Amino acid sequence: MIKTQYPKLDEVLFRKTLSNGLDVIVLPRSGFSRKIAYFVTDFGSIHTDFTFAGKLWQTPAGIAHFLEHKMFDMPGDRDVSAEFAAWGANTNAFTSYDMTAYYFSCTEHFDDCLRLLLEFVSTPYFTEESVQKELGIIDQEIGMNEDAPDSRLYDNLMAGAYTAHPIRVPILGSRESIRQITPEILHTCHRAFYTPGNMLLCVVGDVDPESVEAIALEVLGNETREVGQKIRSWDEPLASPTENVETRMEVAMPMFSLMFKCDPVDRGEKGIRREIIAEMACEALFGESSQLYQQLYEDGIIDTSFGGGFEVIDGCAMLMLSGDSNFPETIREAVLAQAETIAREGVSDTDFARMLRCALGSRIKGLDSFDSTCFRLCAYHLSDFDYFDFPRIYESIRPEELQAFLAETIRRENSCLSVIYPTCQEEQP
Amino acid sequence: MIETTEILPGVKLRCFRDTRFKQGRLIFQFVRAMEEKEAAFNALLPDVMLRATEDHPDMRAISQHLDSLYGVATGALVRRVGDYQTAGFGFSFLDDRFALAGESVLAGVLSFLEELLTRPLILDGGFHPEVVEGEKRNLIATIESELNNKAAYSMGRLLRSMCRGDTFGLPRLGEKADVAAITPQALYDHYQRIRRESPIEIFYVGSASMEAIADLIRPIVGSWQRNPVILPPQTGFTPVEGADLTETMDIAQGKLSMGFTTPITNRDPEFPAMQVLNTLFGAGMTSKLFLNVREKLSLCYSVGSSYYGTKGIMTVSAGIDFDREEQTRQEILRQLQLCREGQISHEELSAAKAALCSSLRSTHDTPAAIEGYYSTAALSGMGLTPARYMEEVRSLTLDQVVAAANTVTYHSSHFLKGDNQ
Repeated sequence: MIKTQYPKLDEVLFRKTLSNGLDVIVLPRSGFSRKIAYFVTDFGSIHTDFTFAGKLWQTPAGIAHFLEHKMFDMPGDRDVSAEFAAWGANTNAFTSYDMTAYYFSCTEHFDDCLRLLLEFVSTPYFTEESVQKELGIIDQEIGMNEDAPDSRLYDNLMAGAYTAHPIRVPILGSRESIRQITPEILHTCHRAFYTPGNMLLCVVGDVDPESVEAIALEVLGNETREVGQKIRSWDEPLASPTENVETRMEVAMPMFSLMFKCDPVDRGEKGIRREIIAEMACEALFGESSQLYQQLYEDGIIDTSFGGGFEVIDGCAMLMLSGDSNFPETIREAVLAQAETIAREGVSDTDFARMLRCALGSRIKGLDSFDSTCFRLCAYHLSDFDYFDFPRIYESIRPEELQAFLAETIRRENSCLSVIYPTCQEEQP
Repeated sequence: MIETTEILPGVKLRCFRDTRFKQGRLIFQFVRAMEEKEAAFNALLPDVMLRATEDHPDMRAISQHLDSLYGVATGALVRRVGDYQTAGFGFSFLDDRFALAGESVLAGVLSFLEELLTRPLILDGGFHPEVVEGEKRNLIATIESELNNKAAYSMGRLLRSMCRGDTFGLPRLGEKADVAAITPQALYDHYQRIRRESPIEIFYVGSASMEAIADLIRPIVGSWQRNPVILPPQTGFTPVEGADLTETMDIAQGKLSMGFTTPITNRDPEFPAMQVLNTLFGAGMTSKLFLNVREKLSLCYSVGSSYYGTKGIMTVSAGIDFDREEQTRQEILRQLQLCREGQISHEELSAAKAALCSSLRSTHDTPAAIEGYYSTAALSGMGLTPARYMEEVRSLTLDQVVAAANTVTYHSSHFLKGDNQ
């Protein structure tokens, strides 16, 4: 394992790409009881179309999430969760737009847990019967999301703002799309994307990096295999096809989510630099210390639920603001006007220096969380960037870059506003 | 290691010195007996105080000040611990070793705390009226937004009905109408009163010593005229008649909440046994409820139990199809009955113990978990350290867990269903 020191962060990382193609990252944390491991595949809900074994595959929406559920089934009626639980460990998984992660958290029996994690994620076991049974469970999960205003708001926004990129379809797919899933399709996706060359293992905790490497080789073997080639060119315009998406639900107060579509970011350092510029630009525009936030808050247009930031997903990027408000349209207008002012007048050096301190301080504090740090190490690694390099990037950013970002991004034609109004809307104050 | 000192009468400082973290955490809380007439005051107070001080008279000035201290994360704290309600502030801030120019972030945080507590923005004998009005509006919106999370809403209605006999059923943030009636002067008077009367709990996790923190806190609190009261001790469940409630809403999925009582609270020697019972019955992915009600019978998407150790209440929450209510309810009761009869496998028992020990072992892994554990323990009267608690869990026998199960009695329920049925 290759050891890298990060004195500014008081951290050390061990890294290696194994002979089977698996990338391994270990962040040692001595003196802590908890240990976590993420086993991640660079395959998410948007990667429905790909070529593999000389063939083009167009798989149903929701396949990555369905596969995630089915990976917990093992031959011989084995119950993976119970096996982890017997060691006092927890296991779980999540599917996002561009990755699927399986993880556990334990305080004892780390080696056993790691072996089991690697084993169950690389053991496909799908039967007609179990696929049928899963439909009911995922139907209920879809039902739960339909009742959750946050998910509805978000899904409506994506469907409204995107025309070609598969982010417009919910991660779970639909009740119809998941009914096209068969054991064969699951097997193909597993063979194409759950191969060490498309995966990453990241461990945080008081563990021996060499032993993590040895266990990974022992369970996964030395062999490299073909990786599916995702089709990642989506002809997505920067302009949003719809300006407004609205629906009604049992909520206490209107909820909104406002998006400004941005150009997709590059991989590697250029990409994260863009992301950090965007995040700082968001702070300057509508962060809690900004003039706009103060104004909207004092006028009662936003409350503490208001917030936002920059989101990057494979093939798309967006600036998002959301919260509860009786005047969502006023917020869009205010954001457009204030962005224009900043684009014209710039960000002062004092403001910039303060924002930089805040951003850097918050990132460093965030390293105390095992889960968020492990997740970030994985997500940035999949974008070809060493996450712990962030202090260097912050030092290189100039206030003019924030200004330029806002000038180019905050445009009415790129915006889409999703609102959920209460079913029994009282008169607006 | 946790150290506790009473720096002044009624002012407890608890410190957990630890150099592993990149941040420090400081909590300052006034402790009150939960009461209907003042719950809304306690909930509103810290929000108002965090909005304006003499030195930083608006939210933007405060926010910029905290940003310049490397992004101090601050928040109003309003907690319910059994019969008590707390009002105060929490701060998470960068450890001094990462400050670029060698300045002390900790000293900056303490000086901001002093500013909040001793120099609030006052007008005509009250907090600033615009700030009060704004925060009242926000608090009312927060109370109303409880409706957005349907499972939490249903659970809130259940607890409200079950705990009519004491204050545990009162909403933590008070009632909308009570918030609306608060005036800037009344709120300021309330602040003066709690500053005079209330026990104060301060908690610090970080790299500084207890002496250093005590030296920084003493001058803040020492200048106040104080006559702290002694709070009445925590109480267990107050018996009232049970009720099965149903409510309808425009939703796709039903939410079933069931409430049970037990005489065992976290102040009793049987507490670890009750906690193990709750874990194997309904908490986590290997519990009887999860494996049977969800996995085997597919009756619901989500199901889980919670045990409120401060009060002696256990609840079960399930997300179900509307027509599965009776079936789910019966199955949940049947699983509890199996526990009562001792039909608990060796694997179930040892997995529950292992899960609990694992979570206790990692208590010391985050500043928030450290503070949460010891603060709750101190206020609720639970005397176990994580290590001692773990020892007790390990040595529990099946009989002790079954005995705990036999103290659990069904009490009430709340079912939230769709209005198109």
